[in-house]
Amino acid sequence: MNENRKVIVAKRPDGFCIQFDAMASACEIIVEIDDQLLANKIGKAVSEEVWRIEDKYSRYNPESLCSQINQSNGKPITIDDETFALLNFADTFYQLSDGVFDLTAGVLRKVWIFDCSDKVPSNKSIAKTMGNVGWQKVKYDDKKIILLKDMELDFGGIGKEYAVDRSLLLINALTKQPVLVNLGGDLATNAARKNGEPWQVGVEHPGFVDKKTMVVSLFKGALATSGDAKRFLLKNGKRYSHILNAKTGWPIDNAPRSITVSAPQCIQAGLLATLALMQGDNAEKFLSEQEIKHWAIR
Amino acid sequence: MKNITHNKNLKAALTLATTALFTSAQAGAAPLPSDTSSEDAWSFDSAFLYYSEADRVSAAEAIFNAKKTYSDDSILNLKLTIDALTGASANGAVAQPNVQTFTRPSGKGDYDIKAGDTPLDDTFHDTRVQFNAQWTQALAQNYTGSVGAHISKEYDYLSLGVNGNIAYDFNKKNSTISFGLSHFQDTFTPEGGIPKSFASMPVAYHDNEDKSGHEATRIGSDDDKTTSDVMVGFTQVINRNMVTQFNYSYSLVDGYLTDPFKILSLVNNSGIAQDYLYENRPDERTKQSVFAQTKYHFDEVILDVSYRYMWDDWEIDSHTVDTRFYIPLGDGSYLEPHLRFYQQTAAEFYQPFLMQGETLPEFASADYRIGEMTAYTIGLKYGMKLDGGNDLSFRLEYYSQRPESKGHSEPGALASLELYEGVDAIIAQVSYSF
Repeated sequence: MNENRKVIVAKRPDGFCIQFDAMASACEIIVEIDDQLLANKIGKAVSEEVWRIEDKYSRYNPESLCSQINQSNGKPITIDDETFALLNFADTFYQLSDGVFDLTAGVLRKVWIFDCSDKVPSNKSIAKTMGNVGWQKVKYDDKKIILLKDMELDFGGIGKEYAVDRSLLLINALTKQPVLVNLGGDLATNAARKNGEPWQVGVEHPGFVDKKTMVVSLFKGALATSGDAKRFLLKNGKRYSHILNAKTGWPIDNAPRSITVSAPQCIQAGLLATLALMQGDNAEKFLSEQEIKHWAIR
Repeated sequence: MKNITHNKNLKAALTLATTALFTSAQAGAAPLPSDTSSEDAWSFDSAFLYYSEADRVSAAEAIFNAKKTYSDDSILNLKLTIDALTGASANGAVAQPNVQTFTRPSGKGDYDIKAGDTPLDDTFHDTRVQFNAQWTQALAQNYTGSVGAHISKEYDYLSLGVNGNIAYDFNKKNSTISFGLSHFQDTFTPEGGIPKSFASMPVAYHDNEDKSGHEATRIGSDDDKTTSDVMVGFTQVINRNMVTQFNYSYSLVDGYLTDPFKILSLVNNSGIAQDYLYENRPDERTKQSVFAQTKYHFDEVILDVSYRYMWDDWEIDSHTVDTRFYIPLGDGSYLEPHLRFYQQTAAEFYQPFLMQGETLPEFASADYRIGEMTAYTIGLKYGMKLDGGNDLSFRLEYYSQRPESKGHSEPGALASLELYEGVDAIIAQVSYSF
């Protein structure tokens, strides 16, 4: 895995473009600076940080802290301040979303396989899996976490967005020049471009082959997108989206296929986009009422 | 599903949670921005400073600092400072309406001061080499310890020192308490030896002449002093933009505190010098000080203001206000205006001259540096980032020191002479970090 980790720093007319792969996404940082050494430094710092977060919180990496927790079978696992802060954050959002956002909901993927087929799981299997879902069953403090056997944590809903925000924090310590961080469509910037214009960001909605990339202007702050048009099940004319309600174990009805949300920080944008999808029919209304700038595709 | 849209404070709650996430995750195990660049690497700072007082002392100083940060955040800091001083320094005697002749500190040879001029001893030149080493490391969670050693050598002076400091972080590292101790042992071997207190300055001898007149005024070739300091400090992060610091220090200096090169004029009722006597100061001094500093980070500009109040049992009280603005200009360059104001009262035994016929006091010194004075510094620093990320900065400052009369009457000729001559100096510095 690590041997594929390389960072490319390419010159652009107005600065440099730094590219690397992480979290199963193409990552890109655009820096409006002339200093190649500084660009290299930023590339090194950010890629290492994103890979660090991936190595720590990816559920696919058997060495990760996340995997350790998931395989703990109810034994306490030691955590550090960063993990404690992330768990606290997830807890806050669990409360705010009234249980719809749940870090333990990932196990539902074992019964729901969104492969465009008609294999909708049975009520029984969903109910059985739901026994392993429930944030309220997770016990943790600032030193350790206890996760019951067969339960799993999935940081997928916040990991990439968290990495975007952390990257920008690192960059701000290195330069005040305009920088855009784009980790596979979740992105954030510290400032408008040097010419005073906003960043023009092409938002790709995964799975929409026929739709053009949507271009969004961003002066400052972050964007995150939730939804994937290719992941669904179709049975008896009913479309089951991959947006699952952690409280029922069933997909949300009439959710938009994709929602892009703008917020001061990427992790906020990501959570708001997810939360909006969970509102189904009311997704756009929900965001409008909260006065949150968004772009939805149905 | 319960309708979340009723939660009108969603955005605010989310902002709060995000702030908490990034402040506590940052303070925790996640590496800090600086770690990625400075891990296990040496960084170097060098500076060249030039200080020049109009008609008086000039000093050139070169500083070379090397710092190594280890992967466990331990820091080794080594600093070498070399100063070269040349020029003239006030010897303590008052100006006179006639030419005055003074013996050089060595006793060998003399120098003349023109009528009306403040007597300056122009034999003042020295080179000082100073070396400091400091080791800082985490001792336990939230405890940081630091120890250091200091050696400084001049032609006629040797100073050896050690220090230790311990800091405790709490309140999620937003608060820090520190406690420090230091001890210095200095030996002074002045040119010409240590003069007897209040002895008359002897007439100079020249090559092959008898030294006994000079030697009769000496009590030894060297003397020493010790300085012990205790310091307690408290630093508090108020919020994202503001940090404040408070220090208290107690310092006990014991030993030879007199300046062997300084004299006092003994004048008659007409204000005319009849003799020059070597000064004498107490052999103990207890200093205390309180210090407060606030740094405020506006959107771009950083304001740094500090105030120090120092008092001692010599009755010198001083106030220092120091203000700096850090103004980023983009591209890593910045401007930093600097303003400093300093005011001190005189030591109780300070007097500009002695009167003939009056009983000699126990202690007396006419050294303007322990007299009443006001001083200010105004300066500007410009720094820039070079290709490759190295820093280069230039500093230019003007320093003005205005000694003031403590209200001593000025008999006869002295009334029309300048007894409290000011000092003006220019400080220029170039620094380079790589």
